[in-house]
Amino acid sequence: MTLRTRLLLMFAVVVAATVASVEVLVARTTRNAFERLENQRVEALVAQFRQEFARRGGAIARSVNSIAASDAATNIALAPDPAANYGQAAALASAQGMDLLELVAGDGTIISSAEWPARFGYKEDWLAGTTGWKSRGAFLRREELPDGVVLALAAVGETRAGDRSLYVAGGQRLDSAFLASLVLPAGMRVLLYRNLEPRVSAGGLIGAQGAVPDASDFLPLIEAVRANPRETTATIGSGTAAEVFHAIPLSGSADNVLGILLVGSSRRELVELEAFLRYMSVVLAGGGILLGIVLAWWATARVTRPVQALAVSAGKVAAGNWDTTVEVASKDEIGQLAAAFNRMTRELAAQRERLVQAERVAAWRELARRLAHELKNPLFPLQITVENMQRAREQYPQQFDEVFREGTATLIAELGNLKQIIARFSDFAKMPAPEMQPVDLNQLVDETVKLFEPQFAQAGINGRTDLDPALPRVSADPEQMARVLRNLVLNAIDAMPGGGQLTIRTRAEDGRVRLEVSDTGQGLTTEECERLFTPYYTTKTHGSGLGLAIVQSVISDHRGRISVESQPGKGATFRIELAGEVSR
Amino acid sequence: MQRTYSHWSAAVSTLALALPLMAATRPHYGGTLRVQVRESVETADPPQSGRGMADLGDAFTISRWEAGRIAVYSANEAAAGGRPYLDSIEVQMGRSLREQSIDFELGKADVVEAGPNDSRRAANGRKIWSSAPVRLIALVVGPRVADERVREALALAVDRSAIHAVLLQRQGEITGALLPQWISGYAFLFPSAPDLSRARSLVSAAGPAARTLSLGYEDPALRPIAERIALNARDAGLAMTATASGSPDVMLVDRRIEFEEPPRALAAVAAALGLPEPARAETAEGLLAAERGLLAGFRVIPLFHLPDVYAAGARVKGGPGITPLGAWRFGGLWLEGNRP
Repeated sequence: MTLRTRLLLMFAVVVAATVASVEVLVARTTRNAFERLENQRVEALVAQFRQEFARRGGAIARSVNSIAASDAATNIALAPDPAANYGQAAALASAQGMDLLELVAGDGTIISSAEWPARFGYKEDWLAGTTGWKSRGAFLRREELPDGVVLALAAVGETRAGDRSLYVAGGQRLDSAFLASLVLPAGMRVLLYRNLEPRVSAGGLIGAQGAVPDASDFLPLIEAVRANPRETTATIGSGTAAEVFHAIPLSGSADNVLGILLVGSSRRELVELEAFLRYMSVVLAGGGILLGIVLAWWATARVTRPVQALAVSAGKVAAGNWDTTVEVASKDEIGQLAAAFNRMTRELAAQRERLVQAERVAAWRELARRLAHELKNPLFPLQITVENMQRAREQYPQQFDEVFREGTATLIAELGNLKQIIARFSDFAKMPAPEMQPVDLNQLVDETVKLFEPQFAQAGINGRTDLDPALPRVSADPEQMARVLRNLVLNAIDAMPGGGQLTIRTRAEDGRVRLEVSDTGQGLTTEECERLFTPYYTTKTHGSGLGLAIVQSVISDHRGRISVESQPGKGATFRIELAGEVSR
Repeated sequence: MQRTYSHWSAAVSTLALALPLMAATRPHYGGTLRVQVRESVETADPPQSGRGMADLGDAFTISRWEAGRIAVYSANEAAAGGRPYLDSIEVQMGRSLREQSIDFELGKADVVEAGPNDSRRAANGRKIWSSAPVRLIALVVGPRVADERVREALALAVDRSAIHAVLLQRQGEITGALLPQWISGYAFLFPSAPDLSRARSLVSAAGPAARTLSLGYEDPALRPIAERIALNARDAGLAMTATASGSPDVMLVDRRIEFEEPPRALAAVAAALGLPEPARAETAEGLLAAERGLLAGFRVIPLFHLPDVYAAGARVKGGPGITPLGAWRFGGLWLEGNRP
């Protein structure tokens, strides 16, 4: 990953993290504000409910007391036959607008019942037995009716006429109509659970419209409030349908929970706002990241362009172009680095020049040595022959012709040697340019090995090939490559005067072709390995020292590479690597 | 027989109460008597048998008939007992007790059927004509209630006294028999007192499915009684609801006793209630056994014997206009003064 990419990523991450942090902060702040507002709304609604509850309770108590104080109630209390007043409760309830009204004798016997006329003669023991209702005004009560049990807001009045008394127990149902009469803010609703059965049931939950369709969702909350009668909050539903419900237990005259008021506030607006914020944050984050990338691109380009130029220049230096320099565009750290790079390349170029000069001198010295060595050998016989011919002319004139004949023959022979030496040097100097064509190296190896088989046999060498059948063809000059192979084989044969094993191996690796010639000869020292390809350098007592130099020259002309691996006493391996340009 | 005597004496005393009023005015001809009844006769022709309009046949002849709505009878000039005083009688059918009561109070009707609470209307010259107890109010248990224990529990759960005292305002008499005491003389032998504890034990022995019952009523006027019976049944452990529609398990019915002769009356009542024909009996004991046989399975639970009760306006003179069996006898009535 480049420096620029890393910088870009870093910028993008920083921008995204910043936007995300802002979004979280805004969302949290919004949620808190919403919840504060919602709590205020719920508190207002609960207060409204309590006020409405108290108002209706007061109205019921007034109605009941009005009936109890009426002449009709006194007449009913004094009537000798209660049966005559069987239908009175319905008429009085209708007149007072009450849902429920019972006229009960002092002993608790129902004289007349508006809500359940058939209950005349039954007992209302709670009226005669306890007087707790007297101090409570209106209170919640569980009322049994022919069509089921209802929750009612009730009040009791008492009429006394002499030694007789009459209880007037009236009230109103707490039902959907009651809930519908509550004025609610938008997004809120009120439900009432009538806790009138031993077990929690969905049917006990009503709303302003009657039965609640999703009543079963509320049962856990209702169960919790029943088990622990205190105000409890829970979220019902999910997504935009989610509502926060505050459950408020409503107690009866015996402090038992007869009802649970559920004040719900929809979270739709909050959820939609959060979704909008999330959407906006994604858009802003995306835009921010894009903007960040553009800015980062511009900023990193300013920083990395000189670094990149340095990297390119360093690559050129590594490729051998030591004259490379970079522009020093600033005086900051990057500028100082560029200046140091330029100084370094100048030093390297100077050192290389000095090294080349030294190598050139060394090469000339080696050449001179080899030339002197090569030329000395034929010159010495020439000198001896000429001296013999001079001595024979002076001392043995009668034998001069014979000596002359022999001497000229020797001279001609040695001159031939000199010409041959000069021709070899000339050949090395005039290496022809390779004529490239697809070459099957495996085939070339086989032909070479076959060519040398007699010599292998004579030298006690086991010639072996290890060829890669998938070896691609290479673009090469077949004559020059054959010469390379022959030189290496000859070199190996010379390295194993006492016999041994010669292995020629080919391999295809990563689109390149590798050719190895290994011997089990005496091996080479590290110094010998380093100088092995220097022209006219040889470790042998015979030879021109040009063989491996020619090999290196040919391989270099084929844009290949040759190396040697060897240790003294462990043989040597010459390795040639060429580009596998032509498929098999 | 003590009870029979008391009811006869009550009927006689009711008739005796009307005598001073009869003596206070002189009969004269003319006028139309406006009568309202709950019954709605839907036949193409006026009824020729039974109680009510069919009783007018001797003294009056039908002059207008609109089935289910109105019937007008005109005085028969050639009546066997002489022309009746009234020129005509206009009978409006299908009028509820409440409508009749309102029309009676407003003076739009001269003779109406009276409910239990209308007995107090016998003031300001208004009169109450009451027959002997000639109607049987009973529960008829349908075939779906197969468990006899449930039927018996229902019979034992009904608190007849409370209904009689409050809803019927003590009209008629409590009974456990098909025939009223004044006809059979042995009705008191049939138990009618509730026994809630036994009812509960019978219900608890029955299966839960058998404990749910519906109770229907033929006449809306019977609804309060039906609701009270349902409440009594709940006390016994039966889940009973009163309903005006559908085909209920138990039906609260009102059947008229058409005959005075006990065997004939029993046979007619049994037929009216869907019971099998009783065994023929020549003696009171035999009749008692036959009636017991009819009631043995609690398929019919007799509750009350009620009289026919009519309220007559102050300008109606010459009454009572009904016989002890509730038959109309309007031939001797006349109207006093102008219509209000």
